[in-house]
Amino acid sequence: MTNLFEGKNVIVQGVTGAHGSFQTKAMVAAGTNVVAGTTPGKAGQLVEGIKVYDTVKDIQQDHTVDTSVIFVPARFAKGAILEAIAAEIPLVICITENIPVHDMLVVHQKIQGSKSTLLGPNSPGALLPGINKLGIIPANMSLTGNAAIVSRSGTLTYETMAGLTEKGIGQKYVIGIGGDVIHGMGYIECLQLFQNDPAVDKIILIGEIGGQEEIAAADYIQQSVTKPVFAYIAGHHAPIGVQLGHAGAILGSAAESASAKTQKLATSGALTANSITNLVKLVVEYQPL
Amino acid sequence: MKLLEHESKTLLSNSNIPVPASFLVTKYNPILPETPIVLKSQVPTGGRGKAGGIIIVEEINNLQPSIQALFNLEIKGFIPQTLLAEEKLNIAKELYISVLIDRASSSIQLIAHIDGGIEVEDNVNFKTWSLANPDFDAIGQELADYYQLPGQTFALQDLIQNLYKCFIKNDATLIEINPLVLTADEKLIAGDCKMTLDDAAAFRHDWNFEDKPVEANFVTINPTGNIATIANGAGLAMATVDAAFEAGLQPANFLDIGGGATTETLLKAFNRIVEYKNLQAIVINIFAGITRADEVAKAIVAAKEQIHNLPPLFIRLAGTNQAAAVQILTDKGIVIMPNLESCLVAAKEVVHD
Repeated sequence: MTNLFEGKNVIVQGVTGAHGSFQTKAMVAAGTNVVAGTTPGKAGQLVEGIKVYDTVKDIQQDHTVDTSVIFVPARFAKGAILEAIAAEIPLVICITENIPVHDMLVVHQKIQGSKSTLLGPNSPGALLPGINKLGIIPANMSLTGNAAIVSRSGTLTYETMAGLTEKGIGQKYVIGIGGDVIHGMGYIECLQLFQNDPAVDKIILIGEIGGQEEIAAADYIQQSVTKPVFAYIAGHHAPIGVQLGHAGAILGSAAESASAKTQKLATSGALTANSITNLVKLVVEYQPL
Repeated sequence: MKLLEHESKTLLSNSNIPVPASFLVTKYNPILPETPIVLKSQVPTGGRGKAGGIIIVEEINNLQPSIQALFNLEIKGFIPQTLLAEEKLNIAKELYISVLIDRASSSIQLIAHIDGGIEVEDNVNFKTWSLANPDFDAIGQELADYYQLPGQTFALQDLIQNLYKCFIKNDATLIEINPLVLTADEKLIAGDCKMTLDDAAAFRHDWNFEDKPVEANFVTINPTGNIATIANGAGLAMATVDAAFEAGLQPANFLDIGGGATTETLLKAFNRIVEYKNLQAIVINIFAGITRADEVAKAIVAAKEQIHNLPPLFIRLAGTNQAAAVQILTDKGIVIMPNLESCLVAAKEVVHD
């Protein structure tokens, strides 16, 4: 398979739940090839015409699986992710939020050296307009094209995508890496994907206060990314030491502030904005040299 | 969830980590401790010592007045419900030790410093060890060498193993023992402890701790700000505040109404927002994914009807069930703006200094 996100055979773990079934319907409507789903003890049921199995292994008797999208409730999510890893599914996307961080520590250890790549948890998933909708990013706000968006925040991802769509700038990738402290794919893996995909001509990176990931991403941009990168870090006016919303967004030190990260990205060659509206303007008005 | 000192120490003690002999003093508890004793205000914030929240009582005559003083002392907005009365330790040395989750390496980390006590933030060169697949004997040995306490090697090996077990067993995200006291008779005792537990793991514990305000989703940035903000998702909420500043407005608050926001939670938020004395407009920026836009629209209508001193609302509401939301609001004559930018431009028109 050439591209991790373009695998055709998709399954949904936790397909019979409220979110699972609602979002599966939306994925199918957007053209995603959902071949099956799981909910333990509910084998034989149908959800949106899709066959339900007890386990991922059972599905693999009938189908090759490229990607699993997980909607399993938080207390069972660790088990679901580990099941997908054990089944060697190439791409595992976990939408579930509020998974205990100690559970994610276990997942993090298991994923090292495995055959799977994890996106999330607490992620809206990935949307490749016209190709694949793997998660909950609303497809009706997207447009096919050549921009690639990566972000830690779900709603901010939608906001940026909708802003670009409104101005006629389509997207090849819209990826939310999730707001949790311990998570799978990060900015660097996404930047690498975007840099290596000839269909991508511009990259939009959205970050937040807290943590060091955007700093490492800036170093990577400087060393390895030749395509134009547009960046915005949310939280310029966040008070120090106060958690803003999800656990990832807590401003611990000056180096983790929005202004420090913005400056670092700017000196690494990214074009930066101080607000989301200005970010969209920056992309629209960009003239290649 | 951040625990109070006495709650943290109970969990330490349950994991065989030595803590000072102690009991709790409440306003209704007539049992008076014997002197000398250390009285410590139990408030969920740092900087307590500097604020006068710890009193060492040597004379029995000073006991009652000290207890009263501490119950009346507000520390960073908190008034204690309880005091911790502890034996006075004979301190030979104050060290620092903590266990936390390191996001860069996605693993548990042990952090130590030879100088503990107050103003530990000013220290440099903290020693760190990864506790992914830890060898406690080796780490304890290194820690004893670092603390220059070779005679405490076994005690430190035990301590870090127990600390790790305590961290795992309680779904902790932070355990900080500062100071870790070495007493004159060469015992290691946890002098003070801060502990944070993972709220997401509450389902598998039988937690029963004092209620503390959880404010992650509603934060006041500037109590005299001229506009309030409401958004969904931490990122979008921060971005809304940033954009308001860029537009020359002064946002009073950050508010993330989160995923499954209901009419009730939104009304609560509106009621808090209207307390800002200089408030002249409210900007609402919702991009519904899991949230349903029509639910938010209903809450806005309810707020308009129930809260009489509501300033003008500038609303952007997009995403899931948007059409239904537009219908609900337009039926009541409430306007929806096409995007955040237009909300801010319109808000700027009505706001004056």
